[in-house]
Amino acid sequence: MKRREFLRDSALVGGLTLCFRAMGAQIAVAKPGDGLATEMGDFLRITPTGDVLFLVVKHEMGQGLATAGAQMLCEELGADWSRVKLEFPLADMARWENDRNGGHGTGGSCSITYQYDLLRKAGATARQMLVAAAALQWNVPVDSCAAENHGVTHAASNRRLSFGELATAAARLPVPADVKLKDTKEQQLIGKPVHTKLIPDIVTGRVKYGLDTQIPGMLYALIARCPVYKGKLKRFDATRARKTRGVHKIFATTPIAGPQHTPWMPHDIRDGVAVVANSFWTARKARDLLEIEWDEGPNAGLSTADFEIIAQEHALHRTDPTGFIGDENAVADLSKVRKTLRASYVYPHQLHSCMEPLNCTAFAQPDECEIWCGSQVPNLISNSVRDLLKLPAEKIKVHLMPSGGGFGRRAYPDMAVEAAFISRELGNVPVKMMWTREDDQTCNLVHLFQHMEYQAALDAQGKLYAWYEKELKTYNWSQPTIDPSMPAMAYDIPNIRYDLEDIIQYELAHSSAWRGVVVHGRALSECFIDEIAAELKQDPLAFRLSLLKPGRDVYIDPNLTLSSDRMRRVLLLAADKANWAQKLEPGRARGICLSPYGNTCVACIAEITVKEGKLKINRVTVAVDCGRLVNPSSAANQIEGGIVWGLTGLLYGGAPIENGRLVHANFHQNKLMRMNECPQIDVHFVGGDAERPWGIGEVSTPVGAPAVLNAIFAATGKRLRKLPIEGAKLAG
Amino acid sequence: MKYQLTVNGTRHAVEVDDPTMPLLWVIRDFIGLTGTKFGCGLGLCGACTVHLDGTAVRSCSVPVSAVAGKPITTIEGLSPDGQHPLQKAWEEGDVPQCGYCQSGQLMQAASLLREKPAPTDAEIDEAMSGNLCRCGTYQRIRRAIRKAST
Repeated sequence: MKRREFLRDSALVGGLTLCFRAMGAQIAVAKPGDGLATEMGDFLRITPTGDVLFLVVKHEMGQGLATAGAQMLCEELGADWSRVKLEFPLADMARWENDRNGGHGTGGSCSITYQYDLLRKAGATARQMLVAAAALQWNVPVDSCAAENHGVTHAASNRRLSFGELATAAARLPVPADVKLKDTKEQQLIGKPVHTKLIPDIVTGRVKYGLDTQIPGMLYALIARCPVYKGKLKRFDATRARKTRGVHKIFATTPIAGPQHTPWMPHDIRDGVAVVANSFWTARKARDLLEIEWDEGPNAGLSTADFEIIAQEHALHRTDPTGFIGDENAVADLSKVRKTLRASYVYPHQLHSCMEPLNCTAFAQPDECEIWCGSQVPNLISNSVRDLLKLPAEKIKVHLMPSGGGFGRRAYPDMAVEAAFISRELGNVPVKMMWTREDDQTCNLVHLFQHMEYQAALDAQGKLYAWYEKELKTYNWSQPTIDPSMPAMAYDIPNIRYDLEDIIQYELAHSSAWRGVVVHGRALSECFIDEIAAELKQDPLAFRLSLLKPGRDVYIDPNLTLSSDRMRRVLLLAADKANWAQKLEPGRARGICLSPYGNTCVACIAEITVKEGKLKINRVTVAVDCGRLVNPSSAANQIEGGIVWGLTGLLYGGAPIENGRLVHANFHQNKLMRMNECPQIDVHFVGGDAERPWGIGEVSTPVGAPAVLNAIFAATGKRLRKLPIEGAKLAG
Repeated sequence: MKYQLTVNGTRHAVEVDDPTMPLLWVIRDFIGLTGTKFGCGLGLCGACTVHLDGTAVRSCSVPVSAVAGKPITTIEGLSPDGQHPLQKAWEEGDVPQCGYCQSGQLMQAASLLREKPAPTDAEIDEAMSGNLCRCGTYQRIRRAIRKAST
């Protein structure tokens, strides 16, 4: 942070509103009556009654950042935690600019990392102003006063004023130029496993998700979307559907359909027919009565098998290396190579299946539009709806709401575009546009597909001499990869080559980001490492340790080096906690996966039983180095959930396409792991007194699947190289 | 068509166009209690679980015409003050992540504990395996039910 900038304004809430300018370059002092819309960064309000309101400007979708953010800010503020409340404000794209720090955008497991300094400084600044206000009132030196437990005290005279009593006066004082933050050792709230603030409302049904929005006069809309990606609406007959009692209007959504070239987040809106009625149920029944003819387009009749053949063909030729270490052609150097191993692994498309199906409520009016929606990137909603309705950006009001799962899917703004379009076409009537589960799973964006092609060359001494990896994938954030980059692997191999090729043009459903994103495919390298260990008749743990030289830092990209010491530490911790050295009876086995995610290091050991061809995952041990822990209970919950996420993809996922159509329509086909299949998951953190926190939300999602696949090999001798594994033969 | 429903002890007169409309939509869209969630519409995920006559049912799969006269309890009525032993155990064990499925999980668990005040792990698994949680909080749900049952 180069400069800090605070803005005071007590007019808005009759208390203290502190604004924090993350990357600011100019001083702005509020004038009485000034609105705050043009300023950035506002995370804290203190009401006259003394409640501390933490403004949740990022998207709370279950990852616990609302509470963790409040912990970071209140650590420095000296607030009484029981008087801290969460508030979900209206989005403000100028104030919470979507930069790396204080913005609305939520993803990539980086909210806590990026906001750690920002929120602590916001809290410390407020504390310092409250202390100054008290000192002024008592006419005593500032440094004889201290903020603690929601008030300021003057020990010498045994006087105390509460934050509520001081807030208005504090807001009139100059904003301090610099603030001192607590040392890590002094922290009391950061590092404490406090309960998530939303739980009391969750367990009583009071939390309002997007789908719970109720606006007076609101109608309900469903869209019959084209079942084939890139298909178009040819014609439709709504005669029968219109006769359903309660139906208001039926019309094509063609004007908003097609590819959406949103920067960084390209997506697709399928062509369709909107049905608007007085209730969800009426709309659904009427939609069933539509007679629609689709032009199924270039993907008509194609299936997953057709696509996978194309991927396989592309896997066999080399592209220019995206990055390499040593000799880029080492795997082919017959003067050095004694034996070459080769394997293809496939991480398939997956469905997000957020428990709260996609939805958006919109009220488009001639001069403004209001949107109610749980969104990871409300900025994209604002921009897209602005463009659709030809309104100034500040006239798009987006209500930030928690969601019933985002997992990357709620980073895309399509639901808001659909809802705003329908509201406008109805003649400016508020409308709740909903997706059924079948819509969600058959007409949706899917997780990107990855084909991983590996080769390993062993030299005459039986050493791993060269590693070749080619990744083919169907998503690239609109940014073809051109910068040299390497797979995030800490192993010390003399020659490594990495090729990367986009095969987006062949995909049969539009790809998108799914919790864990590209790391799912890349972590399958941990299966290939296991294959090499098996070839060399080495223990999988010992083999990995032999490739992890102590004290070695690996350069991954311009912002990231990977420490082999940290990787060794999590690997050894997981091995210790999982009793790796202990022998198991036949049919039971363990498997390892070691994978970094950003700057977080994760090791996972799965213990399984295969009996009469049936797999049971008994126990999963995870060791994580994510630096400083802000909320250990919440963080462990994320790690546990990430394992379930990844194992669901391993066992059941896949989003198969037949005849151009995604065929897993509901949960009987797209199965998710259930409680009776859920293994015991033990989470261990290292890095106790680390200075900074790193990411948590996605880090464990990729490690469960390779660990289980390696355990299956250890138990049965069978190598499974393609997910999902439901139906794979494990016996004999 | 008009129906008289008793939800959380309060009588509601509702008028719907279709007697096959599932109870879920009557509770959410007509009575306005949104704690009961829509997840799948086919009774496959359990997010919509309510108590009908004291027993857990999937409200997405029960037509409104079948419930008249029977008392219905939703998450809003599980306890008057949010202090049901399960609600307390959910907070103490930091169970929820996104929370969307949890009202259904709680209603299912409350029904289980009414029938079996001290269920075994196998009985918990059996009773709860119809309720999906995409965030993967199963281990914590299981632990919280155990805690509330002792």
